[in-house]
Amino acid sequence: MMPSSVYTRDRCVTGIHGLDEILRGGIPYGSTVLAAGTCGSGKTTLAMEFLVRGALAGEACAHFTATEPSVKLLENIRQYSFFDMNMVDTGLINVFDVDVLYSWLGLDKATFDLDDVHALIKAIVDIVNTIGVTRLVIDSVTTLCYKIKSEQLIRDFLFTLGKKLATLGCTTVLISEITSATENAHWSSFGVEEAIADGIIVMGDVERMGHLLRFLQVVKMRGTAHSRAKHSIELTQLGVMLTPMLKWGAVSDQQSRWGA
Amino acid sequence: MFELDALIAEQLTEVSLNSAVQVRCGNSNSFVVTASTMLPLIQSFGMGGVYISASRGAVEIIQAFESIGVDVSNIQFLDLVSSGILGGTDVPYPNVHFVDSPIMLESVLLRTLYILRTSTFERNFVFVDSINALSIYNDDRMLAEYLHTFINTFRQREVLSVLINVPDQTPPLVLANLDLYCTALIDRGQVVIQ
Repeated sequence: MMPSSVYTRDRCVTGIHGLDEILRGGIPYGSTVLAAGTCGSGKTTLAMEFLVRGALAGEACAHFTATEPSVKLLENIRQYSFFDMNMVDTGLINVFDVDVLYSWLGLDKATFDLDDVHALIKAIVDIVNTIGVTRLVIDSVTTLCYKIKSEQLIRDFLFTLGKKLATLGCTTVLISEITSATENAHWSSFGVEEAIADGIIVMGDVERMGHLLRFLQVVKMRGTAHSRAKHSIELTQLGVMLTPMLKWGAVSDQQSRWGA
Repeated sequence: MFELDALIAEQLTEVSLNSAVQVRCGNSNSFVVTASTMLPLIQSFGMGGVYISASRGAVEIIQAFESIGVDVSNIQFLDLVSSGILGGTDVPYPNVHFVDSPIMLESVLLRTLYILRTSTFERNFVFVDSINALSIYNDDRMLAEYLHTFINTFRQREVLSVLINVPDQTPPLVLANLDLYCTALIDRGQVVIQ
């Protein structure tokens, strides 16, 4: 006998053209999602649009930037018409420099120990709690974890952070820098992020006759029966746009009919 | 004096917005057929749209229209040719957009959708010039698959698809799929040379 109703988790609708369809409605609320991608694959733009769409719906959002200064990040993102600087000015999108956060916490050292990691988690969680953040981006978790030398400590850091943010109802995107997005690649720099995350979105390039096509693929998302197909993406003025990648065009040159 | 094929305009009155029209032509009459198809869409039906140019650069096409007194400044051109030519993208027309190569078919679809999202016209078309030019660069199976996606995407959005094609320069697999997916055919492919 079929159950009379099927339980579905509430979703954080990303608002990104095509992504919610892939996720069958959005990211389950409170998830920690790893957005892993190669350089230039569109990770930061995707993450920023995720925040902008949330801000447009009246949600409080936060962005922790560790890879570039916030001024530079905002200058780069201003070229997109979906972004409005008013969202920053009015406090809907809050951008934090991780370097400044380190200074506040007195974490001016080359490597972090357990206490430092706990201090960092507490600072992030306090900010999320105080502002009432429901969408959070950490760009990138790779840079953040460089100072944590033990794999076990990285695991604890991400697990505890994810758990505390989920308790606060915050949906988090952790950006991960990877050097390859092929089938055999790891989706994280330290190998532990992918196991902790509730979801993994991989972004990279497919080479077709010397041209690079950006792709996005949701390889894991707990709590939703999502598509796992490779999608082609374009970064447009209006935001990220997606369409399923052609089946005959999704293989790399070496595997394709054109041969190596 | 440039003479349009008036029968094409007549045939176009019978198609709806969610149609996909294959327009067959030959090498020698391709511009007459193209202009005879475009003009009614712009002037009689008041449509906006995207002209995807894979056979020639957009500037050349715009200037060809200008030479017969047709204003195409409200039509957006997606040029798949000029990025392959050094300096080819430095053009004086603000309604020309570029995709790096005709092999980036998904980018062509997404760029077209993006342009249509910014369109101020109530009714729009996508005009592909031409399927045979796309088949020069793309594998038959991939192009056949693409036509399926492309045509259905725009049919679903009630955007008229017009696909120019020189049939004797198009691979059989692509041609068969084009015949299958298109809902209407305007055939000017049989050109009698006197």
